[in-house]
Amino acid sequence: METVLWQVLAGTRGGPNRARILRAIDERPRNANRLSEDLDMAYNTIRHHLEVLEENGVVTSGGSDYGTVYLPSDRVRDHWNTVERIISQIDD
Amino acid sequence: MSLMLDAARLAAAVNVVLLAVLLVIWIRNYREIRAPLTLGSIVFGALLLTENAVALYFYLSPPAMPALAVRFMMILQVLETVAIAVLAYVIWQ
Repeated sequence: METVLWQVLAGTRGGPNRARILRAIDERPRNANRLSEDLDMAYNTIRHHLEVLEENGVVTSGGSDYGTVYLPSDRVRDHWNTVERIISQIDD
Repeated sequence: MSLMLDAARLAAAVNVVLLAVLLVIWIRNYREIRAPLTLGSIVFGALLLTENAVALYFYLSPPAMPALAVRFMMILQVLETVAIAVLAYVIWQ
């Protein structure tokens, strides 16, 4: 899981933005639309990142409707130290 | 013979381009997030890029070689391209 986290958040093209999304839904679970507004990123970009994060078991969602709320997965909660270390290096 | 050499040239050229793209992504990310994994990827990518640049240079003015040697070098080069392309696809996501 640690390797997956470093890879998905720091090793891929959208990594740093994915780290911002993860930080945001940790503060408060949100749907893609709210994330798009709050992080000032295109809705489709947010959807793509959420999809990748979900495929890698980093976030979970309530379903696949328009208003689905995303939150960090239990597996990520177990490795939250790693997430904090990654997120602490991003300042925007 | 010349077809195989062309395939090896093309594969090496594609590798150089793909690795350059990967290095740009990794270096940008490393500036933002100082992950050891990303740093390792940069070193790995840079060395592989060097290897392919040298190979390309060699293929552009090769000495006379036995056909068997050319064939095997072409196969290795193309396999490398497939490997790098898979990696690039995942990283691009």
